[in-house]
Amino acid sequence: MIYRYDGSFEGFLCAVSDALKCGGKQVDFAGDGDEVAEGLFSDEIREVPAVRAVALEFRSRFIGRVSQEAFATARYAFHSRKAGIEQLVWSYLQLGLEVGGRLTGMLATEPVHSVHRIARHVSHEAHKFKGFVRFREVEEGFLYAAIEPEADIVPFIAPHFVGRVGDRPWMIHDLRRRQAAVFDLRSWRLIRDIELTAEPGITAAEHDYTALWQRYFQRHAIAARHNHKLQQKHVPLRYRKHLVEFNPAENPSPPLPSP
Amino acid sequence: MFSLPFEQRLEILADSAKYDVSCSSSGSNRAGKTGALGSTAAGGICHTWSADGRCISLLKILLTNACIYDCAYCLNRRSNDIPRASFTSDEIVALTMNFYRSNYIEGLFLSTGVVRSADYTMEQLIAVAHRLREEERFNGYIHLKLVPGADPLLIAQAGRYADRISINIELPSQKSLALLAPDKPREAVIGPMRQVSGLIVENKAACKESRKAPRFAPAGQSTQLIVGATPENDREIITLSEGLYQKLEMKRVYYSAFIPVSSDNRLPAIPTPPLLREHRLYQADWLLRFYGFSAHELLDEEHPNLDMRIDPKSDWALRHLQLFPVEVNRADYEVLLRVPGIGVRSAQRILQARRGTRLGETELKKLGVVLKRAKYFLTAGGRYLGGIRLDGPGLLERLLAPARRPARLDQLELFAAMPDFSAVSGEL
Repeated sequence: MIYRYDGSFEGFLCAVSDALKCGGKQVDFAGDGDEVAEGLFSDEIREVPAVRAVALEFRSRFIGRVSQEAFATARYAFHSRKAGIEQLVWSYLQLGLEVGGRLTGMLATEPVHSVHRIARHVSHEAHKFKGFVRFREVEEGFLYAAIEPEADIVPFIAPHFVGRVGDRPWMIHDLRRRQAAVFDLRSWRLIRDIELTAEPGITAAEHDYTALWQRYFQRHAIAARHNHKLQQKHVPLRYRKHLVEFNPAENPSPPLPSP
Repeated sequence: MFSLPFEQRLEILADSAKYDVSCSSSGSNRAGKTGALGSTAAGGICHTWSADGRCISLLKILLTNACIYDCAYCLNRRSNDIPRASFTSDEIVALTMNFYRSNYIEGLFLSTGVVRSADYTMEQLIAVAHRLREEERFNGYIHLKLVPGADPLLIAQAGRYADRISINIELPSQKSLALLAPDKPREAVIGPMRQVSGLIVENKAACKESRKAPRFAPAGQSTQLIVGATPENDREIITLSEGLYQKLEMKRVYYSAFIPVSSDNRLPAIPTPPLLREHRLYQADWLLRFYGFSAHELLDEEHPNLDMRIDPKSDWALRHLQLFPVEVNRADYEVLLRVPGIGVRSAQRILQARRGTRLGETELKKLGVVLKRAKYFLTAGGRYLGGIRLDGPGLLERLLAPARRPARLDQLELFAAMPDFSAVSGEL
């Protein structure tokens, strides 16, 4: 049986919940964009709608049986969005309901080991992006940030920025997944299938502060201690595209006489 | 000093501030306020890394680099011929707010040269923090430097606005301090530290009684020691750090490899900063804080300096081989922490995983435990993981063995030993 859901974590939990009710044999999942081979098995596709109450019910059932921490692990792992992750998380959740609190002690066995490893990667990346998001002031007061993370980390970092930049409306745009977290000074929500029609123009003040930041960044390094390898370990090249301090050419400013 | 363009002053004052190595934005956990800017994260957040591999978390800047003192190790000493500059508090506030809003930084680290008097200078620093907190409702991280010799009342005030406060000892002994920083008596540094530690303890108690009690420096205090400018050995430094952690509620002691910023003849002439020594001191510092080691275990009269070839924990273990190997399925957490190559995280994972399964070499690898060094000190299910049992010197040699094979070099030498290869092979 293939369970088709809307691609969200909530929807996935609904599909899991549904699959468990049906006995949980030979289960497969298909998200929103996933291609499902039509034909021979097409009659075995089951559409599962995302219902918040169902997802929440499954969540409290799992937390009650296993632990809050184990649920968080499953959630992080799911958002890696790797191929086949649904199967892995599905077996993790299933095993959790079976063995209960012993699940976290099974760290050296499958699927617990893989799920933990993937979850750790995702949570590390989410933490990195709490530092790597670069807001740019685009129209008067509106802040826009483009990111291209490997995992789907927007749901993890958006609440952090709600608490942090609470005095301006903003948008964090995941170019890879064409989705964005949008904050309107009251709450944030996730918008899917969003694309820029034009490169956002930045304000003059933004341009000046970017230039100041680039100068500061250059000056912070101590020449006698230069260590590019260490720098690259912490800021891999793949993350540098949207970090303004690594792209001084995109924000040219007239040269100043050196002090 | 205000006449230079803003950009230039930013460069000068960033240059002057960067030798302070403290960078952390951790230790304070404060949720954001609705409609305001800023929050703090308990673990701290790094925002970028500069070309020297150091993280940038806080906007580290001086209010002014003019100074009435003449400390030999300091770039900003009175007798040094460098351009001088100052910021107004307005300028720093605007810079902090804008950098913060763009998510470049986690907060402000404000330090300064000493102008007019210690009290006057301290007041200037507090004024900036006051404006950020009270007028701009800035809720991010603030780290304020204390000025040696400042009035206790001002120090108490600084801790009301700042998350972390710090005052740098810089030199590990009274003698060195008197030689290199004649204007700064040791008591002017230790006095405020003691006061701050008292206030932190007091405040912790007050916060337990009432959640509404105003916080005093919730992220604690830190300090910095310069390594390699004076003849103190590692034992003196690590023992001093241990004292600071135990007696003065210090959150962190930072070590800064001495970089010659002047040709003062009171200072040693060293070609490169002692970065490896700095690294080893940090390793030892971690052993003090997270691994349950004490200074006298790591260093004693016979070994007054850390071994540069090997990390301090391996060094300790090699001197105590009678305690090893330990059984990974039974050893206590504290014992596991003392195994070279096993850190806090690995030890915790081992504890967690061995409740469910019996751990062997494969399971350890799955847990992400790095066995490169640890295997020589562990048994798993009774089996020694290190192969042949070695004595101290033999094991040291094994631990120091380079990871890469030097095979390439040998081959090149082979060619060099045959001067005319073509004559042998017939090729040309």
